[in-house]
Amino acid sequence: MSVAPAARRAAARTRTIAVTGWAVHVPGADPLATPPERAHELLGRRGLLAKEPATRLALCAVHRALGLPAGAPKPAGPPDPRVAVVASSNLGNVATVRRVAEAVRGGGIREVSPLDVPNASSNVVASSVAIWFRLGGPNLMVCSGSTSGLDAIALASLLLRAGRADRCVVVGAEPDDEVAGALRRGGRAGAGAVVLEPAAPGVAPAVVLGPVRPAPDGGQGSDPAAELGDLYGAHGVVQVALGAALVAAGAPAVTCVCGDEVDGWRSVELEPGR
Amino acid sequence: MSGGVLLTGSAVRTCLGDGVATFAALLRGESGIGPLRYADPDRLNVRHGFHIEESGQGPDQERPFRASGWLAACVTAALAQAGVDPARQRVAVIVGTGLRELRAVERSTDVPPHRLHFAAVLRDAVPGLADIVTVSNACSAGGHALALAQDLVQLGEADAVVAAGADAMTESMLAMIGRVADGPAAALRPFDASRTGTLLGEGAAAVVVVPEGSSGRPLARLLGTGLSCDAHHETAADRDGIARAMADAYARAGRDPAQVDLVVAHGTGTRLNDALESELLLGTVGVGPLVTAVKGAVGHMSGAAALVSLDVALRCLATGMVPPVTGLERILDEGRGLRFVAGAPAAAAVRLAQVDAFGFGGVNAVSLVEAA
Repeated sequence: MSVAPAARRAAARTRTIAVTGWAVHVPGADPLATPPERAHELLGRRGLLAKEPATRLALCAVHRALGLPAGAPKPAGPPDPRVAVVASSNLGNVATVRRVAEAVRGGGIREVSPLDVPNASSNVVASSVAIWFRLGGPNLMVCSGSTSGLDAIALASLLLRAGRADRCVVVGAEPDDEVAGALRRGGRAGAGAVVLEPAAPGVAPAVVLGPVRPAPDGGQGSDPAAELGDLYGAHGVVQVALGAALVAAGAPAVTCVCGDEVDGWRSVELEPGR
Repeated sequence: MSGGVLLTGSAVRTCLGDGVATFAALLRGESGIGPLRYADPDRLNVRHGFHIEESGQGPDQERPFRASGWLAACVTAALAQAGVDPARQRVAVIVGTGLRELRAVERSTDVPPHRLHFAAVLRDAVPGLADIVTVSNACSAGGHALALAQDLVQLGEADAVVAAGADAMTESMLAMIGRVADGPAAALRPFDASRTGTLLGEGAAAVVVVPEGSSGRPLARLLGTGLSCDAHHETAADRDGIARAMADAYARAGRDPAQVDLVVAHGTGTRLNDALESELLLGTVGVGPLVTAVKGAVGHMSGAAALVSLDVALRCLATGMVPPVTGLERILDEGRGLRFVAGAPAAAAVRLAQVDAFGFGGVNAVSLVEAA
């Protein structure tokens, strides 16, 4: 470690945050977006047993955002303590929670699979991404409703500016199982992932992430992910992934507004670096 | 990012009552354990829990959204103590939780999805709040909320931030405890040689984080919180990951482990956690500080656990009294040499305290607070 932690933190604090990787993984929206039951086509077969659909979609989105080819093996080696993970999902484990509770009331805990143990905890998406891709930095699971995706983006930016990581993988994922559908009608399964890093000094990044702000008149705002439907906790992350792709392709700026009347609205702007 | 921030309000709700009542009961070595409610103990293989008594409710009548209610009360009380008015200042809230309000989903799918997290209930209880974010980081969620609160304050993104935590029990999490336990634990006995596993507690906690120089009487200075993820296993703790969080805490705080006077340990009463935490404490802070833990008295409060431990640390700083580890009779082999407080309170001048919190998914948060 050549740079002292205090100096590194002071430098990170005022840095521009760049979006350096992105992927949208919404089954049905593009041919590469394999559904959860075919996640092995991207991720390989090992380690997917008992992973919930939201976790599988999240792993697929991160795999693509990191630029890994289809079927590439899981990364090996010790975890990188300087890469953080921030995940967003509201309904990822609701089906498991309900199934386990029903199994207990039916036959007792012998009916419960030990493979479901990790899935009782809502942070299973974030920790699974960390374990799969060997990411040992701070690990956050955001579950804050319609703004959750942009809340995750905001916290990822905070972790970087606070000097807690040199890179942050942000992923949002939601399933469309029966329980998820009963709780939120019309929601679509899908995931998005972006990679955020403080821009290196003196380099203009291709895509710069602005601050995430409250958007009081949010309903009027723009939504680059509107065509994909209601992705709930994944929506804000998918917006930023799509926005980053647009800016990288030449768009002057893209504004993403995410939320609803109950959870409030958040907004973030993407633009080319200068 | 140095120098820390101030804590000017702290409120908790445990099975033993508010912060004052909880600390008094801890000093007396009491436990709030009782029979498990709201679910079938035989089917779960879990017979005990640390429940909050609710006026006007019979033991089998389960009020909906209980965590939300305790959380709103704690956030309101902590802001009042701090003298922070969200109508006049930009106040954000980070809520740490293990289980959100997933209990509602276990009972019915006719649940508005926005009631699974905590923004709506806090906006009703405390008008004028800015951003409210729910972070579901398992058993160390409160410690993660504390870290993010300090970052937000130090980067100038809020005038004050409430770090909060709340959890009730879910049948699905109780089932996981029952599934992996040999037999139902009759008590939660942190760091005891004959400990038999963890049990869940209910409740909430909230602490107000403000910049240096703010008005209000500081309870303590929050120096820093180290964070890490094991990236090792979904449920089993890992030595390297926890060691990284401890090292990060001391690096961020600009303190040396040799300086610490008190550790409020995670101490879950499981075989693995307590052995591993003991070994890591021996290897870092060593035989210097007193070590206590609260879960034998209030249960494993999951998302609120770190902040309840923090509230106890603040009261140790203020009173010079350190409560014993409820349930600890014979110290585990791995912890020999650590200065566990057992049997009776210890009088000690506490200036610097470490608070540990480790969670499912290998998410670790270690906080350092110092007398202001």
